[in-house]
Amino acid sequence: MVLGTIVEKLGLGVKTAPRDLTSEVTGAYVSDLLSDVMANSKEGNLWVTLQVHPNIVAVATLKDLSGIILVNGRQPAEETLKKAEEEQIPLMTTGLPTFQLVGKLYNLIGEC
Amino acid sequence: MTLKEIVKILGCQVVVGKETLDTEVRAGCGCDLMSDVLAFIKPDALLLTGLNNPQAVRTAEISEIKVICFVRGKQPSEAMIALAREKEIAILTTSLPMFEACGRLFKNGLIGCSEYDE
Amino acid sequence: MVDEKEITKVQELVYELKVGQVMVKDVITVTPHNLMSELRDLLRDKRISGVPVVDKGRLVGLVSIEDFIKCLTDGKMGSPVEERMNRNVKTLYDNEPLVHAVKEFDRMGYGRFPVVDRESGKLMGIITKGDIIRGLLKKMEIDYQEEEIHRYRASHFFEDIVADKTTLIFQYNVIGKDFDRAGETSSGLKKTLRRMGISPKAIRRLAIATYEAEMNIVVFTDGGEITARVTPQEVRVEVVDSGPGIPDIKKAMEPGFSTAPDWIRELGFGAGMGLANIRKCADAMHLESTVGKGTRLEITVYLNEKEKHGSGNDS
Repeated sequence: MVLGTIVEKLGLGVKTAPRDLTSEVTGAYVSDLLSDVMANSKEGNLWVTLQVHPNIVAVATLKDLSGIILVNGRQPAEETLKKAEEEQIPLMTTGLPTFQLVGKLYNLIGEC
Repeated sequence: MTLKEIVKILGCQVVVGKETLDTEVRAGCGCDLMSDVLAFIKPDALLLTGLNNPQAVRTAEISEIKVICFVRGKQPSEAMIALAREKEIAILTTSLPMFEACGRLFKNGLIGCSEYDE
Repeated sequence: MVDEKEITKVQELVYELKVGQVMVKDVITVTPHNLMSELRDLLRDKRISGVPVVDKGRLVGLVSIEDFIKCLTDGKMGSPVEERMNRNVKTLYDNEPLVHAVKEFDRMGYGRFPVVDRESGKLMGIITKGDIIRGLLKKMEIDYQEEEIHRYRASHFFEDIVADKTTLIFQYNVIGKDFDRAGETSSGLKKTLRRMGISPKAIRRLAIATYEAEMNIVVFTDGGEITARVTPQEVRVEVVDSGPGIPDIKKAMEPGFSTAPDWIRELGFGAGMGLANIRKCADAMHLESTVGKGTRLEITVYLNEKEKHGSGNDS
């Protein structure tokens, strides 16, 4: 499923400058621990996290993730947003907590 | 949802609390940051986490959570098991990643913490 | 020996508790079409002397070890359960008081009764004398605990003290950088307050706020002190350290602002939610800090339920 469809279906806010969200999402990785994401996420994964620290963009870039969803109403730090624009990593937000957002996402894209 | 059902849905190993499998869990919370757990979790919720250190058990104790499920095959240390026994907190482990664990429980009808009023 | 008071308590409880509250819900059952030969393993492995026979959720009979033995001597092990079971089963309803069950056990001399739903006849569970005793003991234990807590209620405690003003002080030392033991103070304070009979909701808010403050000491300083002052009206927790101090308190209060090093983030803390979280839990919060000298934080939770709670004033 392409990222744009997920954004639309889950009603996510897109924080980074609008561009076509056509990258293919290969699944999701859900974690708030950067080392865990570094070690275990896969290319094309959509990352769901509470972390808003600029380092999340660095991790997403290194692991070629398809985007980052910030949950529970978190807003990206200014520096984080700037880096995301530079690295062209789509940053999205939702007011839902992890459990519910992931539940809905799972219903959309299933196991992976 | 009872612990027993959760164990079945996630294929859990029960590390602590084999005698409390009838415990009713009212909502789910998936989180690795303990401040967020403290801020948002409701009592009697299930905490799913990949954070494998004693603070996960402490946080459960402080916020009155009866069950922790460690995802991605994380095995709690002896110290954590002892603390959980002392505080009567059940510990489960599942080999599933967080995504799949939350997804399956949500699909089976477990609600999130923000949907549940104390 | 039990004294008279306890007997009265049990008498009360057998009227109060319902059959459904003490029965075993996980019942091993067979269907009418199971063969008698299949019963053998079940009776042996589960060490049970009788099995309810259930058809589409409804209880239709009971097959006992006696029926099994009789069948064995008749050489009819290939016959289905429905041919050998007892259809005239005495049952109990899940919503009737325990006292009724006690009477039926007495009257019939049975070892167990299946429990069914009054309307649908659906099998809900099974009850033995042992279950009744266990249920009563458990209930008495819970009641006893509640009574014990009640006996120590802070209000009573304070009432017994003759003074114009009473404050209880509990003091704890927090060791810096000792991540394994972090949280012990909050845990201890929680236990102490619970013993005093303070309302669980107030305790939860206090415990969460204190835990966050304790983590701040552990993460950022070499140690500090936590003091709780309890009066009949409020609990005030003072958290003092001689750590690096906070340069910009306003900024530090913003949710998500953090100066925590990466290793702390990987331990599940340091996401910049601590102070915001404390403010959310406290009725009043006061924070003062001098760079290079240390930080002093005061968290107050009012014990009077009528006082507003949470998201308190900070100054």
